[in-house]
Amino acid sequence: MSRISDAISELHKLDMEAGKRGWLQGIHPLPKLLVTLFFLVLVVSYGKYDLSGLLVLGIYLIITFVLGDISVKLLLKRMRIVLGLVCLMGIANPFFDREAVLILGGFAVTGGMVSAATLAVKGVFAVSASYLLIVTTSVEDICYALRALHVPKIFVTVLLLVYRYIIVFLKEVERMTDAYALRAPGQKGLNQKVWGTFAGQLLLRSMDRAQTVYDSMMMRGYNGEFYLRCKRSAERGDYLYAAGWSTALLLIRIIHF
Amino acid sequence: MVMNILEIENLSFSYGNPRDMYKKNVLDDINIRISGSESVGLIGENGAGKSTFLKLLTGLLELKDGEIRVAGLGLKKENLKDIRAEIGYVFQDSDSQLFMSTVYDDVAFAPRNYGKSEEEVRAAALLALKKVHMEDKKDRQIYRLSGGEKKLAAIATVLAVGAKLMLLDEPSVALDPKNRRNLIRILNELPGAKLIASHDLDFVYDTCERVILLSGGRIAADGGTKEILTDRELLEKHGLELPLSFSRGCPC
Ligand SMILES: Nc1ncnc2c1ncn2[C@@H]1O[C@H](COP(=O)(O)OP(=O)(O)O)[C@@H](O)[C@H]1O
Ligand SMILES: [Mg+2]
Repeated sequence: MSRISDAISELHKLDMEAGKRGWLQGIHPLPKLLVTLFFLVLVVSYGKYDLSGLLVLGIYLIITFVLGDISVKLLLKRMRIVLGLVCLMGIANPFFDREAVLILGGFAVTGGMVSAATLAVKGVFAVSASYLLIVTTSVEDICYALRALHVPKIFVTVLLLVYRYIIVFLKEVERMTDAYALRAPGQKGLNQKVWGTFAGQLLLRSMDRAQTVYDSMMMRGYNGEFYLRCKRSAERGDYLYAAGWSTALLLIRIIHF
Repeated sequence: MVMNILEIENLSFSYGNPRDMYKKNVLDDINIRISGSESVGLIGENGAGKSTFLKLLTGLLELKDGEIRVAGLGLKKENLKDIRAEIGYVFQDSDSQLFMSTVYDDVAFAPRNYGKSEEEVRAAALLALKKVHMEDKKDRQIYRLSGGEKKLAAIATVLAVGAKLMLLDEPSVALDPKNRRNLIRILNELPGAKLIASHDLDFVYDTCERVILLSGGRIAADGGTKEILTDRELLEKHGLELPLSFSRGCPC
């Protein structure tokens, strides 16, 4: 089924993009994670009518997208559902908050409209910033950075394993749906009659594969901790990246436009 | 006296409940000794118990009956970690064996778990990759490797811990002739003991000096490769056929 192979290839593509040799990809994951987290905190800190101030923070995104040579089109395509949802978060605000805050050419802009827009922008900013981190940093590196920030190892391990097992699981789904489709030509999707056996088989098979993956980890001395290590340690450029962005973002937040 | 890397005494095994009276042993009273540099082929038809046997040696299946010693260490829970540093197990399905995103990270996984410093890890990983001629592919994403490359990467992951005994389960399955030849060459370059489970007798002929024939869970024959693999009667009695290179009448 093509949608599943699409999903698998999207995951692989993310992995591959993160492994590319680029300027942004080359930055140590820890400063990247820190700057992203800092950016998220700042985004959240803006007041609910502070649209203009918030928009200035978008400089970070624009610069990073440009410098990292990241495709905005792909972001829109991949994240369209999430982006759509965050844009709708404040949809009800205009109905509750009808006080005009600005008259633009005879049209009253109400507080509700501004706060809805602010919320939407906050959401889009948050999604974009996370996306930037994900496409420029491999899962292993993000997990490494999380460990470096003393996030408990159980969370990090689960995150890493979920990511790995999702691929194992999707591949199994792909294999089975392919085998099904080949023997049921001209049929759309799975016949309801086979849903039960299909789900059962899928469970058994993916458990089997997951067991092999686990065996393979045990055979190689796994003892509860992924020893994630970065290919290199942080250098001056990485510190500069973190310091530079933190200062710039903080200044934008303090000096209100 | 030459130290044996592997000693197995009176090993029997069956899946499931040990009190089930009607159940048949998958392995029955196996006795084997393998010295430190031997290359041994474990042959037998499908379901003969080859994979079960290899899994028992690694402790992935629980030993119930008999004794196994790897590099002098008895196979027990307390010794598992040390034993697994001596044994490299190359799974039949390389796709499941490899689980990190790049070749390098996967090969580095084991040495990291054994508490090596990052420089030592790097040295071990690169040396292992070099042994299988994969140095130039170290930064590749695993899913972009071909079947043959995946197999070699899987071998590198077990070489990286410096395993003295390598267990390979059906290594030649799903390889095309060129990758198969390449794998044979690389295996023959590797020192150390190898136990290769396979029903691909030509492959065994090209990589092993000794052959153990497993049939119905018992050892039906144990001897020199040539002696066993040319014995048509013996092979056919146990559901196998002469290697192609012999049946074509060319024991070259
Ligand atoms: N997980 C299992 N549970 C029960 N029986 C099994 C299991 N795995 C294998 N067997 C049985 O054990 C026997 C030996 O299997 P296996 O070791 O896979 O043989 P081989 O690798 O030589 O083809 C077969 O009869 C098989 O059906
Ligand atoms: Mg088998």
